[in-house]
Amino acid sequence: MEIKYTIQGLLIYVAIAAYLSAFTETILRRQKAGQFLFAFGFIVAAGAYAYRWHNVGHMPLQNLFEVFLCLGAICYPVSLLCRRFLRVGGQWADMLIAAIVLFPAGFVFSAELRQLPPALQSPLFVPHVAVYALSYIFMAKAASQAILQLAGITPSANENLLNPEQATYRMVCVGFPLLTLGLVLGSCWGKLAWGDYWGWDPKELWSLASWLVYVGYFHFRYMFGKKHPRINSAWAVVGMAVIIITLLWVNLSKFFPGLHSYAI
Amino acid sequence: MQKDPPTRVKSTNAMSMFRRSVMWAALALIIALIFLSIYGAFIGPERAQQFFNSLPLAVYWIAFILLLIVGMVIFRKFISVPALLLIHAGCLLVLAGAVWSSEAGHELQKKLFGIDRVPKGQMVVFEQSYEDRVTLEGTEQVRKLPFRIKLKDFRIDYYKPGYLLVQSRKGKTFRFVAEIGKEYFLGDDLGALKIVRAFENFKIRIEEDGNVPYDDTGPGDNPALEVQIITPTGQTKTRYVFALSPGHIHRDVEPVLRYYRPIRDYVSELQIIEDDKVVVEKDIEVNHPLYYGGYHFYQYSYDDQAGQYTVLMVVSDTGLNAVYLGYLLLCGGVFWHFWLRDIFAAIKAKSL
Repeated sequence: MEIKYTIQGLLIYVAIAAYLSAFTETILRRQKAGQFLFAFGFIVAAGAYAYRWHNVGHMPLQNLFEVFLCLGAICYPVSLLCRRFLRVGGQWADMLIAAIVLFPAGFVFSAELRQLPPALQSPLFVPHVAVYALSYIFMAKAASQAILQLAGITPSANENLLNPEQATYRMVCVGFPLLTLGLVLGSCWGKLAWGDYWGWDPKELWSLASWLVYVGYFHFRYMFGKKHPRINSAWAVVGMAVIIITLLWVNLSKFFPGLHSYAI
Repeated sequence: MQKDPPTRVKSTNAMSMFRRSVMWAALALIIALIFLSIYGAFIGPERAQQFFNSLPLAVYWIAFILLLIVGMVIFRKFISVPALLLIHAGCLLVLAGAVWSSEAGHELQKKLFGIDRVPKGQMVVFEQSYEDRVTLEGTEQVRKLPFRIKLKDFRIDYYKPGYLLVQSRKGKTFRFVAEIGKEYFLGDDLGALKIVRAFENFKIRIEEDGNVPYDDTGPGDNPALEVQIITPTGQTKTRYVFALSPGHIHRDVEPVLRYYRPIRDYVSELQIIEDDKVVVEKDIEVNHPLYYGGYHFYQYSYDDQAGQYTVLMVVSDTGLNAVYLGYLLLCGGVFWHFWLRDIFAAIKAKSL
């Protein structure tokens, strides 16, 4: 546990508190207050990210601290986009996800400033990580909808939202191209930096496994449609579990030494 | 000749069964690859590479490729939804390109077309010398390139300023930016320290009144910091901390000091020589390889003792275009299928 007694840390803690308060208010059916706090949390999290950007002098996506900070800042716009344009609800889950992803940035990972090592000085660095970060949020939203489906929770009819099974499918449809692009950009970058577009590195293999879970999801859903909604949802939950392993366990565990170890 | 209706129904059923079997086989291969990837992640990159290039896995890859081809032929949906065709054709090209660029693929090209290229290897090139020999990866076999490479110079660029790392005997650590004139307080029990001077090439001149350190502008590289330690009792001591000899620690005083300079880049200034003429010249860095004659040359390693040679990785570009085209089709296909179709449909629905 690392508590940050800095402006950076303070901004992160305020954002976490705002997200958690937003979640509580929404659960207690005080929607307006929840919305306001969610938006406020986003402004503070975006401020924390901008502050970090100013300090490091480049888009901060170098290590897990910066990636989780980024994830905490993009939850709100993704949630808003999904509700307004994609008819996917579950904003209370988004508030919780935002607080959860900011937690490691606030309490676990070091915020020490570091210069970019040679391998990361590539024009593909930012698009590769940013696209993955965005896809992870969509897939997290897909998993939250899948859990709602498994728990038998559906939105009320007057909300004009998709049912959780369809919402899961829509979220995976939005996130999958980004996941694919992230994998491809990583491969192209690997070719430029290390000479191989595929190095059999643990991070690459786990990324491939997470991509394949969603490929399996699409094939299964193509075969059976909505006949087995629980199995469809299980695919999305497993996909998210594999993403969490790819993002965290691979970088932190001694089981997986590889080319991505600088990203801690 | 037209088939009679029951036969047509029978063949339609048979086709439908076949399609279903293909889908099941595809799902089985996808699930198998998920587990194989996870297994590969646990055994480390080298063993994973061997594993995925082994004979049973070669059978798996061939089955995967064949299934993709069969799927693209038998499913009518690929014609009505071209984006799906792009996605699957993209995967097929990536796999085909990967097989073609593998060692086995290179062997096959040699046998079938007489194309004999170095698949992948390393070459050591000393400064101001020429080299055309490549040691094949994982072997001691040496092959020659059809041209020579000259290393004009190898250098390492560092971020400036560096850092002074401080460790107390009790294990407390500090990391300070090595800015000249900056004074850092370490605590009541440790005192403070001040960075007085930085040297690029530290040397000592012996004079009448003692040893005088100076920054030599001549050849050589010996970066160092002059640090003034101010003890809690107010005593001051001058210490020199060297970047290239981290073992040079003053154990008689607290704290232990190290001079650390983060590496910005490794640069090899290369020339390609063909028929005694310089045909290409480039400074290669990490992320900026040199491409010539069907080979990519990467900055791979270097002489970490004296900096007199560089190690280049040489990789043949065989199959690379197929892989990149596959990536393009795959990405184009997924964005078209999952994003653009819906966006265009929504725009169309709004405009009606």
